[in-house]
Amino acid sequence: MKKLPWIFVGIATLLLIILFNSPVLALTPKHYTDLEFPTLKNVEIPNYERYQLDNGMVVYLMEDHSLPLVSGTAIIRTGNRLEPADKVGLADLTGTVMRIGGTQQHSADQLNQILEDKAAIVETSIGESSGSASFESLTEDLETVFNLFVEVLRSPLFPEDKIQLAKQQINSSISRRNDDPGVMASREFKKVIYGEKSPYSRTEEYATINNINRQDLVNFYEQYFYPNNLILGIVGDFNSPEIKQLITNKFSDWKANEKVAYNIPSAEQKNETGVFFINQPQLTQSNIRIGHLAGKANEPDYPTLTVLNGVLNGFGGRLFNEIRSRQGLAYSVYGAWQPNYDYPGVFAGGGQTRSEATVPFIQSWKTEIEKIRNNPISEEELASAKDSILNSFVFNFQKPEQTLSRLMRYEYFAYPSDFIFTYQQKVKTTTIQEVQLAAQKYLQPDKLVTLVVGNEAEIKPPLTSLNEKITTLDITIPEPNNS
Amino acid sequence: MGYFSRRLITFLSVFLLIFTLEITPVAAKTEIPVKSSIQPYLDRVIQKIDEFTLDNGLKFIILEDHQAPVVSFVTYADVGGVDEPEGKTGVAHFLEHLAFKGTSKIGTSNYQEEAKLLDQLDLKFQAIKEAKKAGIQSQITQLETEFKEIEEKANQFVKQNEFGQIVEMAGGVGLNAATSADSTIYFYSFPSNKLELWMSLESERFLDPVFREFYKEKEVILEERRMRTDNSPTGQMVESFLDTAYTKHPYKRPVIGYNQDIRNLTTEDVKQFFQTYYAPNNLTIAIVGDVKSKEVKKLAQTYFSRFKGQEKPPQLEIIEPLQTETKQVELALQSQPFYLEGYHRPSINDPDNAVYNMIAAILSNGRTSRLYKSLVEEKQVALAAQGFNGFPGDKYPNLMLFFGLTSQGKTINELAEALHLEIEKMTTELVTEDELNRIKTQAKADFLRMLDSNMGMAQTLVEYEVKTGSWSNLFTQIDRISAVTPDDIQRVAKKTFTPENKTIGRLISQNN
Repeated sequence: MKKLPWIFVGIATLLLIILFNSPVLALTPKHYTDLEFPTLKNVEIPNYERYQLDNGMVVYLMEDHSLPLVSGTAIIRTGNRLEPADKVGLADLTGTVMRIGGTQQHSADQLNQILEDKAAIVETSIGESSGSASFESLTEDLETVFNLFVEVLRSPLFPEDKIQLAKQQINSSISRRNDDPGVMASREFKKVIYGEKSPYSRTEEYATINNINRQDLVNFYEQYFYPNNLILGIVGDFNSPEIKQLITNKFSDWKANEKVAYNIPSAEQKNETGVFFINQPQLTQSNIRIGHLAGKANEPDYPTLTVLNGVLNGFGGRLFNEIRSRQGLAYSVYGAWQPNYDYPGVFAGGGQTRSEATVPFIQSWKTEIEKIRNNPISEEELASAKDSILNSFVFNFQKPEQTLSRLMRYEYFAYPSDFIFTYQQKVKTTTIQEVQLAAQKYLQPDKLVTLVVGNEAEIKPPLTSLNEKITTLDITIPEPNNS
Repeated sequence: MGYFSRRLITFLSVFLLIFTLEITPVAAKTEIPVKSSIQPYLDRVIQKIDEFTLDNGLKFIILEDHQAPVVSFVTYADVGGVDEPEGKTGVAHFLEHLAFKGTSKIGTSNYQEEAKLLDQLDLKFQAIKEAKKAGIQSQITQLETEFKEIEEKANQFVKQNEFGQIVEMAGGVGLNAATSADSTIYFYSFPSNKLELWMSLESERFLDPVFREFYKEKEVILEERRMRTDNSPTGQMVESFLDTAYTKHPYKRPVIGYNQDIRNLTTEDVKQFFQTYYAPNNLTIAIVGDVKSKEVKKLAQTYFSRFKGQEKPPQLEIIEPLQTETKQVELALQSQPFYLEGYHRPSINDPDNAVYNMIAAILSNGRTSRLYKSLVEEKQVALAAQGFNGFPGDKYPNLMLFFGLTSQGKTINELAEALHLEIEKMTTELVTEDELNRIKTQAKADFLRMLDSNMGMAQTLVEYEVKTGSWSNLFTQIDRISAVTPDDIQRVAKKTFTPENKTIGRLISQNN
């Protein structure tokens, strides 16, 4: 829900010539260059219905009777970016205890048992820019499971013992957050880009968890959980008139709150340049992240930038070809424009390489960024990147639930419902010149910051040979003060 | 151990990933219970499955599903880490990487010229090896310079990653491969109008592979090993644990290979391994999606009959001796503690396989499971605790493995004690009918949800076909699981959870 997949998938043949649906059978094997392909069947967008209850709740329904299963999701307009700085972890705790704490009608144990006896699932969580409550059920249990889903959404109990359990689990995760170098690198890189106090990078600490009490959870819940702040979508083997009745019964008495507010925090790049280093003497390999602040997915150049992503990444992509296959420097390497829906994302990349290759890796990566800015990409590269997106477009429509969750996401972030199709059209018309202009405008070598998690003694040549300011970061986990 | 890494791995799955990549996820979901309301759906699926075997022994399984114009392909080679010769660990995985390097027509601008240079490179590599043995430094330096020059020249002819690029340009998604102790699988999905393209590319890929960029790929694989094992406390612990739990069976060895073995591998090693194990009668292919099985059959005959039949490759005959006393391994690393406890169990084809899976499920599935309730919720000694079967594979007798991550402020001993108590309870008390029924219902739902995925079904069908002798065993598991009783569970628990059969692994915090 947080990020757009940075490479959308696609079909070019969708609107092209219609051939007979009788492929010529090959009697002799052919090399791929000699093959011709029948036109792909048109993608069928499943029928759906969107309506609104009087209290403002938006509902999407999409029937699909292929299997005796029903699933649903409610997106709630909330997010951990809205929690107070001294209570980081509050949104996560609220989302967790809504489910594990049980409801005013059913204790946690009862809830778990009824659901798991029916192989059903109800889960809740609150992430960076939204909250979610979801269920999955066999058709035969739909009413029971839906009722429990509504209880969890509307009347969570927030019992003290389960709050303690959830806090203890978060504390355990905090204690383990420096066990893996890749996890460390991703987390600290965000802090370097957005600043460690930004709602988009800050992390929970023992102290902020300790600051949170039951009333905070109740208040956070009551601040955001209203029908006019929520989009519900249901897909699967149900009968629309019946489920509409059920939805009306369960939700129409829920009062809207017209005062509910939602201010999206802004984001800026905190450090404009430099190398940030975390010394881990036990490592034989460096984890590297390089990047700068980027933009949002609804900016006009976004489709062009995904074509640019395709030139840099994937099989035959420049970074993969050069740094992995030609130089053998890394198992994984990437660099991509990664926008967010409603606040600036990052242009970022990196990989892992043996300690002594750290500086060559960084230099090679930056060279590729310079290259794509300074020289036009080739016809073949453009075709390759565009075809990959357009020919695989059909995979966006494999299952009805993909379409449903996309529609809900677009509505949540106030994107047009045909966003994916205008995106597809723009990719089709993207030119070499547009890619280069986008590279020059959006990739900014002078704003790149670098983060390395590695073993200082083994990094030869040393990071100082990059001729940038080096800042060593201390990632020691602050001890809990009391309790 | 796939060709590509998947980014953005969550905290817990860092640990689980190692297993899920090595025991294709389906292995854990063997069970389908009680017939009832899902039977019509199963019957419908069974009716849509077709199979045929070419004269050369290559078998195809096809499941038609016309919901969307897409199709998924899995090529399953019945060869994995266990089949590697002593001293050549990692060769199965190395070969998997090289299967992305193209053919004499794909991935090169001039194969004739390139081939000469590739031969020269192999000779130089041999010469360097010998010079190193003899310890003549000046000679080594000279040879290495020459090696680099030839490599550079050969590189001029290479069209990097052209094979994958053709797939992606044609709309292919999910192109990757995975090597496990038991098997090597190659997979991706296409829009369904590209069926013949898959036929052409996949047949040429294994008819005419060229192992170009061998020495650079070796560097890539060494980076992969650094990432997954040497720089990962979990990875190191798992490698040590397997090494301790097994004495003779090659489940003992890491699939990615020992560092020194990887470094010593030659193109000749890979070629030999390929020629022995990629025989058509050792390959099975599953195709699931919007295709007509009649058409698949015609095309398969056209493209895959080109493989010459050969002898069935040798099967592993090493048998792990019976364990006679508890074994232990402990590592002190820069990491918070975690605990492993493993027990030897028979292979997937044992009549009690379903019982083992039920035991794991009762202990581990969901918030009503015994380990969650006791270790996470009540005693709060664990952040997470679970058990599963098929470690590190399940074609041969393997391990049922339990693991637990300590929660903050709790010791590994507290966790071990609580975990062991729950395991022991399986031997002393009968499980309740309620618990059994819950697991049976869950297995039914899991099965339905799996039907929704072309790739999931392709992988499951082909794995059952190869490991159990027929894909249809996937569906007959229903009867087996619905027959499991509380007595079965206690009987199997009693014979399995004994001190003599136990291996303990402890990762403790270096700082403490």
